[in-house]
Amino acid sequence: MKRREFLRILGIGGAGTGLGFVLGKVTQTPGAKLIPYLVPPEEIVPGVANWYASMCAECNSGCGIIVRVMEGRAKKIEGNPGHPVSKGGLCVRGQASVQRLYNPDRIKGPLKRRGQRGSGDYAEVTWDEAAAELAKNLSDLRKSGEAGKFYLLTSQLHGHLNQLAANFMSGYGSPNHIQYELFQNRNLLYANQASMGLNTIPHYNIEHTKYLLSFGADFGSTWLSPVNFSKGYGRMRQGEGARGKLVQVEPRISVTGANADEWVPARPGTEAILALGIAYAMVEKGYNRAGDASAWRAALSAYRPKEVAAITDVKEERIFEIAKEFAQTRPSLAIGGEGLSSYENGASGLVAVNVLNHLAGNLGVKGGVLPNPDDPLRAAVDMNKRITALASAAASSKVKALAIYNTNPVFTTPKAAKLEESLKNIPFIVSFSSFMDETTALADLILPANTPLEDWGDGFAEPAAGAPVYTIMQPAVSPVFDTKSLGDILLSLAKSMPGNMGPKLQAQSFAEYVRNGWKELYSKNRAMASGTADFDDFWDKTLQNGGWWSQEPSRRGLSVSTGAASANISNKPAKFDGDEKQFPLYLITYAHPMRLDGRGANLPWLQEIPDPMTSVVWGSWVEINPKTAESLGIKEGDTVSIESPSGRISAHAYLFPGIRPDTVALPLGQGQVYGRYAKDRGENPIGVLPLVENPKTGALALNSTRVKVSVASPTGRMVKMEGSTKELGRGIVKTVSPEEFSKMKKEA
Amino acid sequence: MKKLIVYALTGVISLAIGYWVQQQFFSDRAPVQPINFSHKIHAGVNKIPCQYCHIYAERSRVSGVPNVQRCMGCHKIIKTDSPEIQKVTAYWEKKEPIPWTKVHNLPDYVYFPHKRHVRAGVECTNCHGDVPNMDRITKVSSLQMGWCLTCHTQRNVKNGRDCWTCHK
Repeated sequence: MKRREFLRILGIGGAGTGLGFVLGKVTQTPGAKLIPYLVPPEEIVPGVANWYASMCAECNSGCGIIVRVMEGRAKKIEGNPGHPVSKGGLCVRGQASVQRLYNPDRIKGPLKRRGQRGSGDYAEVTWDEAAAELAKNLSDLRKSGEAGKFYLLTSQLHGHLNQLAANFMSGYGSPNHIQYELFQNRNLLYANQASMGLNTIPHYNIEHTKYLLSFGADFGSTWLSPVNFSKGYGRMRQGEGARGKLVQVEPRISVTGANADEWVPARPGTEAILALGIAYAMVEKGYNRAGDASAWRAALSAYRPKEVAAITDVKEERIFEIAKEFAQTRPSLAIGGEGLSSYENGASGLVAVNVLNHLAGNLGVKGGVLPNPDDPLRAAVDMNKRITALASAAASSKVKALAIYNTNPVFTTPKAAKLEESLKNIPFIVSFSSFMDETTALADLILPANTPLEDWGDGFAEPAAGAPVYTIMQPAVSPVFDTKSLGDILLSLAKSMPGNMGPKLQAQSFAEYVRNGWKELYSKNRAMASGTADFDDFWDKTLQNGGWWSQEPSRRGLSVSTGAASANISNKPAKFDGDEKQFPLYLITYAHPMRLDGRGANLPWLQEIPDPMTSVVWGSWVEINPKTAESLGIKEGDTVSIESPSGRISAHAYLFPGIRPDTVALPLGQGQVYGRYAKDRGENPIGVLPLVENPKTGALALNSTRVKVSVASPTGRMVKMEGSTKELGRGIVKTVSPEEFSKMKKEA
Repeated sequence: MKKLIVYALTGVISLAIGYWVQQQFFSDRAPVQPINFSHKIHAGVNKIPCQYCHIYAERSRVSGVPNVQRCMGCHKIIKTDSPEIQKVTAYWEKKEPIPWTKVHNLPDYVYFPHKRHVRAGVECTNCHGDVPNMDRITKVSSLQMGWCLTCHTQRNVKNGRDCWTCHK
């Protein structure tokens, strides 16, 4: 063998061995590590889930949830089957809320502003430093006798957290705790207070009603307590007795409207007048079951169906038909949702709905409106504490310090409120937000609070199920990042403040505060004590069940007087900004089923689920009737500009037959600047809204402007799941008329 | 021509050798563990029952790797002079768990509960081999689906051949 040949064989052999080794390496399954516990926690068995009962905080319905936790990590959230509000159900937002816990955009520890305000340049600091800085700022303010210039701005707080915040503010000496959310039911609270003397939202007993007349209430996806109502609606349709009927009055079909038997597309802003027209028709025909007919005829004389028909674009005969069916089907129920309440005179529309229920005898009956017991911790909501009050106080430098928690008003108030500019006047802003957002971006100091799955809390569900529902929120997992409970932050802040902050802030931790609060409730409420040995026993059961509730209905009587009604109703359609000729279309903005007011936008699941009505994913779109689109030369998917006297945004055109030709609709929630899943997706419809708030309640009117729509660019990329809305003769959906169906049933 | 055959033969043989070396000495069938733990001493010579350490086998999906506290329960006293035990003590003192390498690894799409098998009276050695005689743990079963089904069929397991039983 030659030397050269030997080397060649050696080379081939070496390469082959190496190759074989690599082959073996790449084909084997990668080994994983097995990391045991150092000391095993007592309650954890690896591989076996622990379920913790808690409360969902994605909206204000207060659904009971159970959280599946494995090895200390929350994996899945379901509805609590024993809870009277959620009854084992949970909506898409509740399901996705686990993504709030693990969201990569969470603020992972305390931050202190380093650069210019709004620049996003923050330095990481320790909790001790951050707490000391906060305490110093607030105690300096208090020492200089300006405690009243400290404002606390939060979302709608519930239960003991709300009580703690109130105690903190009164101990500190400031009356200015403002609770603000876009969908806060202020108008509904006001209308029920003004017409029925109720301080809480009643329970609308959809489950047992047989005729449901809904004015713009999208109760199947966003309104009040969608899980409870959806379950109830299922039983209303397919439960005991005859199938209930749903009539939906709204200019644009919502998810709920799509399920209705009848759609009544009244002219936007006139729904309240339609309700009163129906009420008048009931009185005139003698259908009413409650109330003095002649007194009501006098009170409603301005709403004769003939005139109402002309205003509302609903035929006179149809008004009489609805009146007859509504009055004669037992039990029946009228509800007024965001669609009605979001007009400039929204509260009066909701009073009109109460009038309908009163006349039909639906108040306080099964299948009608059932009163809820009062919240044991909260008095009536103060309607004067509103976001515009904060904006004007800040603009005139009457605010020296501001604390923000869990609300993003810079994103949800119209430009005309000048909120951002006003907030910049405040010398010291602290945020307790867990996420960076448009409002928190103005903060000088950020002390991130826990998310609901890491926190204690409770809620006295509103609307409850017509009986007391006290839900407890307990931590399902320990904090994932370096965050603290807002309750703990406030309690330790109170202790580090010089001077007396009052006796109500002595608890060592918020957990203890909540427990003490429940102990007090327990000592006062005999129904809570029944069947339990002592408070400790009761508390264990409460944590296990997710709260305490009873079947005991509220015995309060409900009625609407002609005087209360007349003082609040109006025969003028809601006002819309903008000249009719220049801006020919009404604009409806609505809460998106997934993103709501924008709070769900940074949860990726909620971004990628197609909208149930349009099947659009991500982005923002505007719903236009195909006839209107044709006359404006707009094709599906075009980028169009929507212009109002207050501003202009662009969105993709979606041709939607379920909307009146004189109306266009925009879903809320997109167009955020922060959050990796939320940013760069569409535009914020709030940008075209004028600042119109209900003078009595401070609720922002979302349906308050006219717009014009024009093609901005014929190209655009709207992502949607549906191909065509038409069958094109393929016979995909077989239909049969009710008459044929009953004939077929007889023959079978 | 003859030369080419020689080259090819050399290549194939060396490929096989390389593969075999990898499988035999570097594979996950019997990986080198951070501590030279001997099942032979524990389960074989001293006859400690499996579930004395793998405490979750009867009530969970996983049998459970013994926590470090459990190791220290005995080895605070027993054989403290051994260098391997001193490694355990070092982990315990640093308050760090021992990073064992997994030998019996199932893909995520397989639902395998130890609980059901142990309760049905399947011996641990049935799948894990003669562990009481192993110094270093070696994977003896393929853990492939066919292997599972052979046993499920022989024992006539209820729904034992249903896709949903293991893939859910």
